[in-house]
Amino acid sequence: MRQILTALYKLSGAVAALCILSIAAVVFAQVCLNLVDKLAKLTTGQAIGLTIPSYADFTGFLLAAATFLGLAYALRAGGHIRVTLVTGLLGPTPRRWVEALVLAVALGMAGYATVYMGLLVAESHEYGDMTSGMVALPLWLVQLPVAIGLGVLSIALLDDLIAVLRGAAPSYEGKGENLLSE
Amino acid sequence: MTVATLSIILFVLLFAFLGSGLWVALSLLGVGMAAMALFTDAPLGLVMATTIWGNGNSWALAALPLFVWMGEILFRSRLSEDMFTGLSPWMNRLPGRLLHVNIFGCGIFAAVSGSSAATAATIGKLSIPELSKRGYPEKMVIGTLAGSATLGLLIPPSIILIVYGVATEQSIARLFVAGIVPGILLVTLFVGYVAIWGMLNRDLLPDEGERFPLREKLRRARRLLPVMGLIAGVIGSIYAGIASPTDAAAVGVVLALVLSWASGSLNWQSFSEGLMGAMVTSCMIAFILAGASFLTVAMGFTGIPRLLAEWIGSLQLSTYTLLAALTVFFVIMGCFLDGISVVVLTTSVIMPMVQKVGIDPLWFGIFVVIVVEMSQITPPVGFNLFVLQSLTGRNILTVARAALPFFLLMLLALAIIVAVPQVVTFLPEAM
Amino acid sequence: ETWDMPTPYPDATFHTVNVHDFAKDVAEKTGGKLEIKVHSAGSLFKHPEISKAVRSGQVPAGEFFLSLLNNDNPAFGVDSLPFLATSYDDAAKLWAAQKPVIDALLDAQGMMALYAVPWPPQGLYTTKEIKTVDDLKGLKFRTYNSTLEQFAALAGAAPTQVEVPDIPQAFTTGQVEAMITSPSTGANSKAWDFLSHYTDIQAWLPKNIVVVNKRSFRRLDEATQAAVLEAAAAAETRGWEMSRAETAEKVAVLKENGITVVEPSAELMAGLKAIGAQMLDGWKAAAGAEGEALLNAYQQ
Ligand code: NA
Ligand code: NA
Repeated sequence: MRQILTALYKLSGAVAALCILSIAAVVFAQVCLNLVDKLAKLTTGQAIGLTIPSYADFTGFLLAAATFLGLAYALRAGGHIRVTLVTGLLGPTPRRWVEALVLAVALGMAGYATVYMGLLVAESHEYGDMTSGMVALPLWLVQLPVAIGLGVLSIALLDDLIAVLRGAAPSYEGKGENLLSE
Repeated sequence: MTVATLSIILFVLLFAFLGSGLWVALSLLGVGMAAMALFTDAPLGLVMATTIWGNGNSWALAALPLFVWMGEILFRSRLSEDMFTGLSPWMNRLPGRLLHVNIFGCGIFAAVSGSSAATAATIGKLSIPELSKRGYPEKMVIGTLAGSATLGLLIPPSIILIVYGVATEQSIARLFVAGIVPGILLVTLFVGYVAIWGMLNRDLLPDEGERFPLREKLRRARRLLPVMGLIAGVIGSIYAGIASPTDAAAVGVVLALVLSWASGSLNWQSFSEGLMGAMVTSCMIAFILAGASFLTVAMGFTGIPRLLAEWIGSLQLSTYTLLAALTVFFVIMGCFLDGISVVVLTTSVIMPMVQKVGIDPLWFGIFVVIVVEMSQITPPVGFNLFVLQSLTGRNILTVARAALPFFLLMLLALAIIVAVPQVVTFLPEAM
Repeated sequence: ETWDMPTPYPDATFHTVNVHDFAKDVAEKTGGKLEIKVHSAGSLFKHPEISKAVRSGQVPAGEFFLSLLNNDNPAFGVDSLPFLATSYDDAAKLWAAQKPVIDALLDAQGMMALYAVPWPPQGLYTTKEIKTVDDLKGLKFRTYNSTLEQFAALAGAAPTQVEVPDIPQAFTTGQVEAMITSPSTGANSKAWDFLSHYTDIQAWLPKNIVVVNKRSFRRLDEATQAAVLEAAAAAETRGWEMSRAETAEKVAVLKENGITVVEPSAELMAGLKAIGAQMLDGWKAAAGAEGEALLNAYQQ
């Protein structure tokens, strides 16, 4: 089970990273086409009009996928920020209970968002909605990664909640970046 | 339920969520949920899903992960260290020394990035380790970054000026031009403050007292060339007409990869670590933006910001008192909402009263942007504070305290543009 | 009762002015029983989300650009076909033919049309004078949907995607050299800051539509329902008048600010209309029998 879950978070994070890589690739390819066009205009006086159709739409969809598929990975890497001023003052036992409570609340919210995002995807599918740009894609298809990402986040929160209730430290504890040299 | 009661409940709830250690994005989401549930009968879950989707797929926001990734690549190469080594001998005489790199770095980066969070994340990633390693005081490193990164909003291109321009039907081109001089004014104020602080606190700054002969200085300055080439390439791609400001971020990534490869620091490990790091940072920021956008929509449904603005309108204030009241209004709203949201939610109400007393809407756009810049560094909801917290692991109040002098400097800048409106208007009028 | 109503365009746009008038009218006619709270400029929902938000009852009513749904069904986009209906009279005829189809499509999604108002005829904005279709050849032409992409390609122009916020900068840096939009949008975005010529080609009159969620509407009592429909009918009449007035007014604004306003040459129009005819064939193929019927109704 542990291995499956770890693989799930990693896979989801890796796909998110691939989405960012794709954003860079698509946008840079369009810039190169613009450059070719510019050169054509300078030499022949006429632009060719090289475009990747709907590249701005694709970029937006990839960004949404990257953001939401990355949620669980970022959580476990200590990437999401929180205020620990108050809880830092508590002793170990009350702190554990507060941590469990916070995880439960977070799980509730993430689960709620997952369900409704899922319903939104289902609705887009039911009505056969298409994206409105040059290239028409089924809307549910580009919305789906957002629902999946929220779902994986919910699983990760449940995973950590169980860990904390069992008395273990949550996955994100002590992680996160510190670029200051102490 | 009255608006006052609801506001108090939401206020308490936000502090309870944040104080208990609930993640910032979810805290904002939770307050939005409470506002919707208590104050409207619109279907909460559906509105949430629609908002998350509608704001999550955004072309304008796509520059964020790319710029953050560019920062990660440079961070993992020798280039950022080179930059500071190259600059160091030149900044020795200037009181405040390398702290100014934060200000100028953000100022230059602001010319390609339209967002202040991307500016803070990218420049911070490069400068915090270098300055900290050299022994610069943490408070000044964080403060200069938090303050200067807000320039991303004022110096064109700027997402918020576009939002304002579209909502009020002002020329975006003119707004961009109008932002230039106030942007330089803010840079000057920041530099002046750091210089004065540097003179008063010589003992707190690291001794980089070695004096180099000019030839050695120039030799070291050669190490600046790659980074300067990168900056020139990114800005150049926009002005050559081959890239929109969002496109330019991809040019930045590719140039950073090329430089890092040329310097021998690019390998599979540094590449994948950089990409994953960028993914995590951009995910963190975009998730908070998603929470903030839902809270904004909830506020739209409850109508609280609009009612407050209408109340200010009902006071029939004269020009200067109106501006003072609006400043207070924006600062208070900006503590809890993302700055852009405040503009979106209230322009319908505020623009008519502003125009009634004869305030130039173009000038007012710059005024609004400076106030929104201030909101980026006021707790509990301030995006630059969040970014710096995530880069340094310091708590939000420590970061906010470090940023306070810069908040006050922006207030001073506001006073200057109110006293001398030409600072804003003379360039666009010359167009 | 209070209805939240999202609209995509800012307050000063005449469509939004009309929506505000409509809301006021409804409040008066119902004696304040139904208040419509207008959320302009996409401040509640972004433009692509508005129709979906009305459909699922997140808000009872909303306004959107009709041909935004063109990819869902070509009937939504017939008013954006170049040179099919180029005058207000033709646009009214087209709307009469299009309305039953739109009503059926909206009905299937639990929505009902209240009224639709056209934008002023679309003109050609360029950085140089355009005398014939040949002058468009190789010109970087802003496109934002498949119809325009096809139009640009048929005219021999170079289709270039530029998002709305990037338009001024794209013109300034030469990334784009031509676009088609209404005099309203040109004047409101202060096009004189970045381009020089406006050719009044009157290519098409796209519409904004105001829709209501059927369930929300049914929940109103009969008198209120009647009042809403009455106010909607008045808003449609008023909106078309506003649109006509807007055309002359905004072209004057363009002129005042130094844009060269050009009447198109017969040669240019002939060339453009030929392209329009070609595109209509393509549209017919996509829209099938239903589209054929719509066109027949229009051309009668
Ligand atoms: Na900027
Ligand atoms: Na703030």
